[in-house]
This record gives sequence, C-alpha cells and structure tokens, in this order.
Amino acid sequence: MLNRSCIRWPGVFFACAVWLVIPVFGSPKSPADEHVQLELISEQNAVVPGKELWFGIRIDLQDGWHTYWTNPGDSGEAARIDWHLPAGYEAGAIQWPYPERLSTPPFADYGYEHQVLLMAPVRPPAQLKDGETQKIAARVRYLVCRDVCIPGQKQLELTLRVNSAAPASPAGELFRATRARLPVPAPPSWKISAASMGDEFVLDLKSGKLAKTPLFLPLHAEQIETAPQVASALPGGVRLHLKKSKHLLKPIPRLEGVVVFASGKAYVVNVPVSQSGKGSHTQ
Amino acid sequence: MNGLMEEIMKRNLWSSLVITLLLVSSAYGVKVGESAPEFQATDSNGHVQKLSVNRGKFVVLEWHNNGCPYTEKHYESRNMQRLQNEWTSKGVVWFTVISSAPGQQGYVTAQQENEYLKQMGASPTAALLDPQGDVGRLYSAKTTPHMFVVNPAGVLIYDGAIDSKPTTDQADIPSAKNYVSQALEEAIAGKPVSTPTSRPYGCSVKYAH
Repeated sequence: MLNRSCIRWPGVFFACAVWLVIPVFGSPKSPADEHVQLELISEQNAVVPGKELWFGIRIDLQDGWHTYWTNPGDSGEAARIDWHLPAGYEAGAIQWPYPERLSTPPFADYGYEHQVLLMAPVRPPAQLKDGETQKIAARVRYLVCRDVCIPGQKQLELTLRVNSAAPASPAGELFRATRARLPVPAPPSWKISAASMGDEFVLDLKSGKLAKTPLFLPLHAEQIETAPQVASALPGGVRLHLKKSKHLLKPIPRLEGVVVFASGKAYVVNVPVSQSGKGSHTQ
Repeated sequence: MNGLMEEIMKRNLWSSLVITLLLVSSAYGVKVGESAPEFQATDSNGHVQKLSVNRGKFVVLEWHNNGCPYTEKHYESRNMQRLQNEWTSKGVVWFTVISSAPGQQGYVTAQQENEYLKQMGASPTAALLDPQGDVGRLYSAKTTPHMFVVNPAGVLIYDGAIDSKPTTDQADIPSAKNYVSQALEEAIAGKPVSTPTSRPYGCSVKYAH
C-alpha cells in the first residue's frame, strides 16, 4: 500500500520516507530479536461469537537460547503477556506446557529451548456480526538467555473476521502438539499426598504401578530447591524427596506443581501438605 | 586382580567423597541466622578484604555482573549507587562481589572495574574480584544481583533478592520493597528482620564451568 502510493505520486516521496522511519521509533528493534522470534497466532482463522478460542505466542529460539517456565528456577524470568482485546473480550491465563530442567550444576532453571507456544483462551462476546474485523493485540515481555541474558518486549497483533462457522487454521497442529505438553489432572484412581518432614517435602504418587522416576516441578520458585530429586519406591508408586528451599519462610498449606514422567505425560499436583506426617516435624 | 579391585574401590570412595563434599557445599551454602562464612578476596585496588575484619559493622554483599540486564536495571536507574551511598555513609561496609569467570560475561580486570565504578558513580566500600567463584560458591550466590546482609556479630540476617519486583524494568523500582534497606533498618532499630530471605532474581552467576 505504502510502496504503491510512493510510486504513484513521486511528489510525496519525502512523506513516505518519514513514514518509513516512524516505525523504527515506534517499535524499536531489540537486541533479543537476533536470537528469538515471536508471533501471535490463533488456533482458528475466525472469531465465532461467544465461543472460546485460543491464541498463542509462538516463541522460536535460536539454538543454545532458552526462555522460561512460570517458575523460572534459580535464575531468569517468565514471559508476561498483556492482552489488548476488543470490548467485551475476556482472556484467560497462560497455559504453560511443562518445561525442561536446564541444569548448570549446582543450579538449574526451568525453561524451553527451540520453540514454545504460550497459549491462552480468549472468550469473545456473544453479540458480534459476521464479517466484522477484530484486532487482537498482545504486549509480550520476555527474557531469553544462553550464557548471557537479554530482555525483550514485543507488540504483536492479529486481525480476524467474525464468522459463525469458523474452520480450523493451519496453526491448529502446533496448538494440538502443545496441548499434549500441558499437565492434566491425575486419574482419580491415583493417590497423591505430600508431607513436610524436616528439611524436605515428601511427595507420594501411587498410580498402582511402578513408574519410572518422575520429576516434580514446583509452581512456586521459593518453595523447593532445584537440586536433583531423590526417589524411592513405594508399594504401587514412588516417593519423591524434595529439598525445601532455603528461601521458604513458612509452612506451605499445599504443594502445587507438575509431575512429569519419562513417557512425557505430565500431571497437575495440588495437594494439602501434612505438617504432622510420620516422623515429620513442621518447619 | 586384587590391586585392580582395590584401585576401583579407592576411586569410588574418592569420587563419592568428592560428590558428598560437593553436595554438602552446594546444598544450602549459607543460612540466615547462622554465622556468615569467612572469606578472603582481593579487591579492585589490590587490597585483601576479609569478612572477619569487619566484625562490629553491618556488611552488605552484592553479587554483580556489569552486563546482566538485572544489574543494569539497578545501576542505570542509579538505585544501587543510592543504596551504596546511603548505607556506607551510615557506617555499613558494602562489598560488590564479581564471580564471573574469565571469558564470561561480567568478568573484569581490576582496572576495568575501577573504570566502571568511576563511570557509574558507584561507591561500594570495595569491589571484590572472585574470578574463581570461591566466595560465590561459599555463599551459594545464584544470581546477579543476589544480596546478603551480615550483622555486627557476623550472623547472616538477609539472603535473597534486592527487592520485591523480579523484573528488568527500571519503572518497577519505586514501587518495589527494597529488602536490603528493610533488613538494615530493622536490624539497626533492634527489630527482627521481617523478610530475612527471598528468592533472588536475575541472571545466573557466570561461574567457571
């Protein structure tokens, strides 16, 4: 559009040149841009009135670089998304796929390498007219690190039309793949319990069969050390010994996090912490 | 055969001993309420600084990496310089500690550090050069910044973040609670420190691998 008008009216070339410069000031190129690309994508290619749809920030990282989970671990910082949505829209929380444990002994971070999709549900209002355009925008603040860290922020946007019968968009596959990495509630037959015992929490996971040693990822950074976790066998399950963080000041009522098995399955853990378990004492 | 077995056992014993020592030293590092471990390090002016010499004074330790965006947040805003000024003028000893290994981000020579301090208008009591990471590992310093406060009796009274807003955004500083100032104010007033520890935030300390 811009180029065409510049060609059509050579007299306004100067104005075009100014126009081309403005975006440089409006959205400054960040040093992080060299190592990471962000894009706002939608699972569907149209908005269906009143029907929840999923948006995601796709983060593509250069080899060697990583960004962070909601609990970044010993260093780093999770990305934040501020949605700018048309009136009547409501955005839900980011659904964090389970991360990798990125270890640099004796410390470790929880994060993602290569690519991650940070997806969130958005509910549009029920009263929308077919054919209307809807501008979805998001400001993302993030940190990427390799041996050094670079913060970045990006203003992203996407325009969709309202269509009561929306077909899936090509990005659907990435949403499906990411959903497979979202922790799900544990099956009701499982018994999960946690207790505070001295300088550790013990997390008992009884699924009826002996699972390969899982990894527990705490939702909150200041509760559990990122150190490797020790597991011991229980009848029908496994006990994880989780070293309390030295930054934990008071007893915690619940243990919240994600347990990831070697199979790649991840389950939500949100259980009360017994403060008077056998042989235990409260903090 | 026996000799070989003996050798293997000896090696295993040694490696498990080494691993145990590593685990013990890295498990907690230091703990609030306990004696802050003694250290010795050369500062950017070539003087040897020891923690124990400062018994009778409050000592602040500030882990530093001049290329880390979290460190930059507190230096470009002059927040760190203000803190250094305020507290050293009240008799507090302030050690900036640099544990970046040679070749890693934040590593500086003594001369480079002195130029940096001058350029930034920073006034710690001394900037300790810890390229081997000995002081950092002793304190289990995780991030830059990572702050510690030692009381006049040599007891660690604070271990954690500089403040309550774990971001790289300078705009967050005015509304953040500064845990170092809070710990010093409370301890000087004879009160218990209300937030004696918090999760430190920032870049990882760039130790030698």
